Amino acid sequence: MRFSLKVKNKEYEVELLETGQGEVKITVEGEEFIFNENRTEKKVAVAKTALPKRNFSRKEIKAPITGVISEVFVKQGEFIKEGQKVLSLSSMKMENEIISDFAGKITEVLVKENQKVEGGDILLILK
Amino acid sequence: MIRIKKYKRVLSTNLLAKKLKEPMPWMIILAEEQQKGYGRKGTGWFSPRGGLYFSIILPKSNIEDLQTLTILAAFIVAKVIKENFDLEPFIKLPNDVWIAGKKIAGVLTENVVGKEVKFSVIGIGLNTNIKKFPQGLEKTATSLKMELGKEVRNEEVLKKILQGLKEQLKIISE
Repeated sequence: MRFSLKVKNKEYEVELLETGQGEVKITVEGEEFIFNENRTEKKVAVAKTALPKRNFSRKEIKAPITGVISEVFVKQGEFIKEGQKVLSLSSMKMENEIISDFAGKITEVLVKENQKVEGGDILLILK
Repeated sequence: MIRIKKYKRVLSTNLLAKKLKEPMPWMIILAEEQQKGYGRKGTGWFSPRGGLYFSIILPKSNIEDLQTLTILAAFIVAKVIKENFDLEPFIKLPNDVWIAGKKIAGVLTENVVGKEVKFSVIGIGLNTNIKKFPQGLEKTATSLKMELGKEVRNEEVLKKILQGLKEQLKIISE
């Protein structure tokens, strides 16, 4: 079986072949590697690569403006709908109902009532 | 063109505005009486018949502009009182208007905010033709009628406040 393998934007021609003696021969760009249960013909150091840690499901609700949290309507572990009112933030001149733009489960409530927050502070974390 | 929706009695004009299915910018909710009028942090606003209670649905704006608008609204209410009734109002920050040490008007802007501002309403309560305040408020609240000794025309006052607000908005948007 032949195929191309792309690693870090570089393509490698790879061939996989069962030799019939309980061995598998892998050819990468003309270089042969033979494997069986107990024997490795050539040891190859394989670079350890990892994807950057990114939590794609994590969502944050942030304070739109500096103010004081006047009410918290949700609890940790609660499932909320998109558009649901989650907090009330009282700024010097306005009352702001903070709604969630996402549906999800609240994993952390980072603020409590009467707490002062700055614009951009994370208030809730959802997943 | 400003569209005014008139009601005899509501819980609160801001509350009603927030529940409208199709809120249109610059739509006015006007009520003769509010049963549960409120100010900042849920404090009650005494709203019997005779007073002027209305909410203006605002066009979607950024939150900083809405703050400016709230201060402007208090300024305009004070200006209308000063220019039309020869009284000396002053603004008590952030959003109340006082005359002779007593509160005569309050402004409350409420926003619904997600990633951006979804809805904004500015509510104004002006004590126009209120004859008397209940105990507990009589030392801290006043009305135009009490200050002038005569009634004023609510519709005229509303018209002047809306005109002033539009003019000021034109200036800041320019």
